[in-house]
Amino acid sequence: MCKKPLILLFFIIPQCLWSQAQFVKDTLFTNGDSVVVSATRSERKLSNLTVPVTLINAQTIQQTGSIRLTDILKEQTGLTMTSGFGAGIQLQGLNPDYTIILINGEPLVGRTAGVLDLNRIALGNIKKIEIVKGPSSSLYGSEAMAGVINIITDASNKVPLEASLRMGTYNTKDINLNSGLRSKSIFYQGFYNYYATDGYSIRPNSNNRITTPINRLTTSQQIKLNINDRTSILFNARLTDETIKSNIAVSNGGVTINSNGKEHNTDANLSATLNYRFTPNLKTSFRSYLTNYISKQDLLTISGAPYNDLLNHLFKRVENQTDWAVGKNLNGIFGMGAVWEGVKSSRYDSEKLRKENAVQYGFTQWEWTASDKFIIIGGIRFDKNATYASAWSPKLSMLYKLNASHKIRLSIGQGFKAPDFRQLYLNFTNAAAGNYSVFGSAQAQKVIGQLNSLGQIGVLYNNYYLLKDLEPESSNGMHLSWEWTPTSKTFINTQLFRNDITNLIEVQQVGTYFSGAQIFSYLNIGRAFTQGLELEFKQNINNHLVFSGGYQYLITGDKDQIAEIKAGTVYTRNASNMSTRLTMSDYAGLPNVSKHKAQLKINYTNQKGVFANARIIYRSKWAVNNTNGNEVYDNGDDFAQSYFSLHSSIGKEYQNGLTVQLGADNINNYIDAIHLPNLAGRTYFINLKYQIKYKSQK
Amino acid sequence: MKKQFLKITFVLVAAIQIVACSKSETITVPVVTVSTKVVKDLIADTVLGIASNGMPYSAGKYTFYSLENNAIVPSIDSASAKWDLAFMSTRIITNGGTSGPALGGAFIYTGLFDDLKTISADSIFKTDNAPTYAVTTGSGKGWYTYDQLTSLINPLAGRVLVIRTASGKYAKLEITSYYKGGVTLPVSASDVEKLTKQRYYNFRYTYQSNGSKVF
Repeated sequence: MCKKPLILLFFIIPQCLWSQAQFVKDTLFTNGDSVVVSATRSERKLSNLTVPVTLINAQTIQQTGSIRLTDILKEQTGLTMTSGFGAGIQLQGLNPDYTIILINGEPLVGRTAGVLDLNRIALGNIKKIEIVKGPSSSLYGSEAMAGVINIITDASNKVPLEASLRMGTYNTKDINLNSGLRSKSIFYQGFYNYYATDGYSIRPNSNNRITTPINRLTTSQQIKLNINDRTSILFNARLTDETIKSNIAVSNGGVTINSNGKEHNTDANLSATLNYRFTPNLKTSFRSYLTNYISKQDLLTISGAPYNDLLNHLFKRVENQTDWAVGKNLNGIFGMGAVWEGVKSSRYDSEKLRKENAVQYGFTQWEWTASDKFIIIGGIRFDKNATYASAWSPKLSMLYKLNASHKIRLSIGQGFKAPDFRQLYLNFTNAAAGNYSVFGSAQAQKVIGQLNSLGQIGVLYNNYYLLKDLEPESSNGMHLSWEWTPTSKTFINTQLFRNDITNLIEVQQVGTYFSGAQIFSYLNIGRAFTQGLELEFKQNINNHLVFSGGYQYLITGDKDQIAEIKAGTVYTRNASNMSTRLTMSDYAGLPNVSKHKAQLKINYTNQKGVFANARIIYRSKWAVNNTNGNEVYDNGDDFAQSYFSLHSSIGKEYQNGLTVQLGADNINNYIDAIHLPNLAGRTYFINLKYQIKYKSQK
Repeated sequence: MKKQFLKITFVLVAAIQIVACSKSETITVPVVTVSTKVVKDLIADTVLGIASNGMPYSAGKYTFYSLENNAIVPSIDSASAKWDLAFMSTRIITNGGTSGPALGGAFIYTGLFDDLKTISADSIFKTDNAPTYAVTTGSGKGWYTYDQLTSLINPLAGRVLVIRTASGKYAKLEITSYYKGGVTLPVSASDVEKLTKQRYYNFRYTYQSNGSKVF
């Protein structure tokens, strides 16, 4: 491990390169919304991409009245919100663990049970969100197995000052302040957001607030220096600080223990990027990034016993990427980087000791424009890790333009997700629920061995002897899509996808204590698949009205479970409560996955600045809980019912820079307190925004 | 407590008997040694109330049952060989080992009730040895699963309790519900209802009175 030189690099590289003074006009933030960076790690026009990318622009975010990242993502095809450990996003049936969340290309950290709470991210300064699904995301390394969501903040400084105030149901306040400064060579953008809510309780006869009172402050500062026409430097600093009033109820054996207190989370990100252009055909960028997520829970149970939890995740990365236009039709990318990360947690053996991991990686990608009809891209990435097996991630994608109105895209690739710190180092005994223990795989054998020599172990299962170094979870994915634009007013995209996942890391019982309490650890055992179809369309009815929508059909399954069902060794109960053999027709696949998801949207705008929209989101039933105890999700289990929710907003943007907006969410007031705790009943909001614009701009 | 009796005579056995009888021209009643019965809502230390701290309380007493007679045995006979099984909340004990004076034992067979036609010769019957029992206790380990999210208890599908009775005969038993009326409560039921309507055993069993391991 080369930890020390790595840290040195982190500080030295940006500075020493700054001193080289040759400058070009920077193209990092090109105007025009159809430019995408996430799909190929370089700027490409949306229409020339070999993979389908969903692009959400600032206008859409604003007109739907979205304030947190969750609000806008749940309205996208193929994306489903999950609840539990914060609001996560499920992408084409894969859990939140498998989607990497980037801000300006840099990853966010601080996941609880694999979920990164997307409510952490304010949308007030966002220029666009790029969503890349499937294997093309493989150049981003671990976590980018299902896809990449890249949030690009606005550094274009169109607006010197913008302020907004939003008030809504449950005393929800959202205040934004955006300020920009620009001169010939310096761009500055400052963003402040304050969000607070009283939370709400939709569970009757309960003092538990599903969404608890929150105070959250976010600030983001960006400075871009165009040092000369070859060189530019970009600094980003972002800080989110939230305090959540917690009331946690832990239920065990029908007895509920309540704890009260506070949760305090801090998410800090710091990055510096240097872009340098040697020639018009050769440019390079150095990026250094530091992020720290600290989550603290200080709770007291009703009996007065303290319950404290700490998570501190530090992540540092340096990366260099060089883009080389070899010829007119051949573009190459070379990149390499190093990551050092460490986690301290009260759920590991010592909360003072940081568990560490170091990764070195390299990648290359080649794009060949064979003709004006055919583009092909191949790429590969290698990740070398200190604490688990290394991983190769290859990808291949192509675009074929049949004619002006038909495009076919195909991408094939392999992604991976590294074992996370929890799976390696957890050392947690739940005193509140029967004293069961979970030990991370890196030390399970050692810890259990010590307990055994103390005579505390009752039984060791075969799983204990199978414990070994965890390997990354791996996925082979394929996406095939057909884009059809019969007229300039109609867009239809159909996509077929399939992901085969191996080496899934699952919690398994490895033995028991002498007392009978269970002991768990993690093993690479699962094999699963997701496959389906996505359909997206957009129709301009006239100059004012746009009708759009999307639908996803999704089938998932655990391959080992399917083999057992086919072998006739899985049982369920029939209507008269008698045991029967489970058949594939009653198999429900993976939990929390709906077969059908759809959304429809109608959008109205006119020249006077009036905008209005109505959106409807539908999700079919999904398996939640394996109630009949056969370890397989089937029709005899607990399902959340299918539902739809209706959202609408209307507003007007005045010439003087004032915008007034009224909105209502979940107008049909659909509530499912147990399965959809994040869906409040009907809520309303009013939003006032004021912009001072540059006179030269409209 | 309601009880229903359902007798299933084996048509095949009966038919063979009739054919056999027709030759000797005498009419004999076929000897039925195997019968399947359904028991509904057998109470097993039901919850009497909920204390101010939210904890349910009950009398803490077993309900003793004779599979041979298909009847409850008074607890005064708990030290006798008159009962085969006893129930207290999710725990089921057999009349043997540390639980009783007789020959009782059990093991859990994974498979369908109807598919278990013969107890294989190499099967090992366990006897109660408190705190471990022949019918393993605990969620997911023995006959039931407890769902933390919904606080509901469901019998595991495809589990048959194979019982050696107090007198050393054999029975197979499948629990179909733990709730009053034989239907697990909906997830939306109140916590109080979930506590007060549980501990009602609904099961079916087949008892072989001739001492063989064939059902």
